[in-house]
Amino acid sequence: MRGAVVRWGRGAGAPARDRPAVLGAALLAVIVLAAVLAPWLAPYPADEPDPVNALLPPSAAHWFGTDSAGRDVLTRVLYGGRTSLVIAVAVLGVAATVGVLLGVVAGYAGGWVRDVIMRVTDVFLAFPALLLSLALAVVLQPGVTTVIVALAVTWWPWYARLAASVAASVATRPYVDAARCLGVPAPLIVLRHVLPNSLTPVLVQLSQDAGGVILTAAALSYLGLGAQEPTAEWGLMVQQSQTLFTTNWWVVTFPGLAIMLTAFASNLVGEGLRDALDPRRVVVR
Amino acid sequence: MIEVRDLRVSYGGRTAARVPELDVRAGECVAIVGESGSGKSTTLLSLLGLAEGAHVSGEVRVCGVDVLRAPERRLRELRGARVALVMQAPQAALSPTTRLGVLMRRALRLHGVDAPDRAAREAMAAVMLDPELLRRYPHEISGGQAQRFAIALAIALGAGVVLADEPTSALDVTVQAEVMGVLRRLREERDLALLLVSHDLALVSTIADRVLVMKDGEVVETGPAAEVLARPSHPYTRELLEALP
Amino acid sequence: MTTLLRAEGVTLGYGRTPVVHDVTLDITEGGVGLIGESGSGKTTLARAFLGLLTPMSGTIWYGDQNLKKADMRRFRRDVQPVFQGEALDPRMRVGASIAEALPRAARDRVPGLLQQVGLDPELAGRRPHQLSGGQRQRVVIARALAAGPRLLVLDEPTSALDMTVQAKILDLLARLGTGRLLITHDLAVVGRLCRTSYVLFAGRVVESGPTAELLDAPAHPYTRALRDAVPRLGGEPPRVAARPEPSAVGEPGGCPFRSRCPLAVAECGRTPALREIEGRRVACHRAEEVLRGR
Repeated sequence: MRGAVVRWGRGAGAPARDRPAVLGAALLAVIVLAAVLAPWLAPYPADEPDPVNALLPPSAAHWFGTDSAGRDVLTRVLYGGRTSLVIAVAVLGVAATVGVLLGVVAGYAGGWVRDVIMRVTDVFLAFPALLLSLALAVVLQPGVTTVIVALAVTWWPWYARLAASVAASVATRPYVDAARCLGVPAPLIVLRHVLPNSLTPVLVQLSQDAGGVILTAAALSYLGLGAQEPTAEWGLMVQQSQTLFTTNWWVVTFPGLAIMLTAFASNLVGEGLRDALDPRRVVVR
Repeated sequence: MIEVRDLRVSYGGRTAARVPELDVRAGECVAIVGESGSGKSTTLLSLLGLAEGAHVSGEVRVCGVDVLRAPERRLRELRGARVALVMQAPQAALSPTTRLGVLMRRALRLHGVDAPDRAAREAMAAVMLDPELLRRYPHEISGGQAQRFAIALAIALGAGVVLADEPTSALDVTVQAEVMGVLRRLREERDLALLLVSHDLALVSTIADRVLVMKDGEVVETGPAAEVLARPSHPYTRELLEALP
Repeated sequence: MTTLLRAEGVTLGYGRTPVVHDVTLDITEGGVGLIGESGSGKTTLARAFLGLLTPMSGTIWYGDQNLKKADMRRFRRDVQPVFQGEALDPRMRVGASIAEALPRAARDRVPGLLQQVGLDPELAGRRPHQLSGGQRQRVVIARALAAGPRLLVLDEPTSALDMTVQAKILDLLARLGTGRLLITHDLAVVGRLCRTSYVLFAGRVVESGPTAELLDAPAHPYTRALRDAVPRLGGEPPRVAARPEPSAVGEPGGCPFRSRCPLAVAECGRTPALREIEGRRVACHRAEEVLRGR
């Protein structure tokens, strides 16, 4: 048993600990499916104002009620999910790709290469994310694309930092030294050995961040700088009807709940992944 | 101090270790020798009810406690105060933000030891550690010092049994000699019962009275150390001896 | 004896702190051992011999070339490491790991290499965690051999393995015709693989010479302490080296072993130079007494 890590207090207790993650994954799966299948699931067209039926409370015909334009809130929430998920995927896709590539190079190369990349990262990190997004959204036209650009710009440095620190530790592993001793060129070492072995924490971060991106995107929309009418987007929906909260609670509550649940689920999955991929949990040998 | 009969440890129906008989008396050292997967560490852990997720059957008595049937409260007391468990990486078991002295005093007070400061100093002296080390944090001491501190903690609590799982295999040879020297002396001076798990037959031969050789969960040979090592009867024991450089 | 690599007055470190001081060492045929405990600088020195670390001062000679200016393509083929621990990319199939050492046209040599180290070629499709420790170490050796090296730099190649497995790997290494630089804390292993050995303490060579003589009659108190600390089957319990009188330890500086040396005297405040004595080199003022068994 030399080299074996004894898993104190794991064994029988482990499945119970993973249950939140499973719940989060299931929840996230439902949310994604609902968004993808919105055109088939939604009981009404996405954008068909019907002033006669404005602000109806939840009923058999309209489970989540209708908004001030008479549109079905359930339909809007389903379509809003598409917008939010597109934003999350695009932002994280761009941020993680750019951040991880720069970070891995910085972490492996070290020295002045690392210094330059990390200083650039620090400059971006010095601006509060929301503020930078606000500034960008003002300069560019408000809209979904702007939100994506703004958030990607504020999000990538975190990935660069994470990837740089992971890659720096991977770079000291014996198998990387072995590759160097074989004369494998540095770019190939990064692509073949350093990058694949640095991805695990990035994956965890990604799933945890998804909720954060959706929340921030919603905040931008809420401030009027993100998605614009008639696009369905959760944050926008909350913003447009916040004055109605005391009188027509359903208009605000359901998109708000959608935001909350998504963020919650993504956090659960992230934490679950972090635990599951934690090397301390892996029994060596 | 340790009495084992028909111990069987299994994980999901697969037997990980089977020990028909194992006794360690006060002042005696018994060694379990084997390689990875032999079940030697599993056996040791099950003596304290620490084999997580395992099904354990048979009779296990440690310091008079019926380990397999005693309530968790009794087991905690057994682990905390009467048996010292020394593992390969002792630093991992010490809280990184607590000074060693605080840690030891806390443990001593918890178990109602009189004059904890004096007991701490005496225990440190017994393992040949400078009492000044009590002011340090776990990461500020070396691996060999951490091993000896783990032993000192147990001695201060009045433990009569030391279970050691590869206690020196992560240490330099000169440090290993010091730690083993401490164990050997304590055993003589304080009549400690010592159960040592190791892969190193040479190391075992210098301290153990009796050995159990384990392979794939079974005890393949057992007897007085001098005899087993001089005239091994099982081919596996012979193989182990020949592997010695 | 041909010298494959030679360190001349090499000082090594990370940042500005040297951890290896002024080491001169010849890697000759017949195997060279580098013995030291944790913190002795032995792995740092190995990295320098692999061209992974540039000396702060001094020179690594590769044949008659300074390694800094040498043909690195040839050097990379000539000198290969066998590391311990995570020496194989955990995400790669081991066949691919070996193939990385081969030119594209020679990838079909992988099965042959696996057989050469006593493994079933079928194992090429496995990932490292699906192999036993001994199998993994054989794969690491196969990868090193793939480059066709003249020298293997072995860094604790067997210390994480079970005894019976260790014995087999040592046999394999002894059978290979390549030169060896073995870095280890294990005196017994050195005896089997290396004709010459260097003992390192705190980044300095304290004794060097033929391995057999070194272990038989050490001339440095540290070599002796190391040898005596190894438990021997059925032997007396290892002696714990006595600590010196505090008065002899004195101020910092001087002989690095002084604070642990049972023979330390005031004279040890002066750093002892390496000197020739009875076929070996030793850095101790009292080497003659140690040799005579004091």
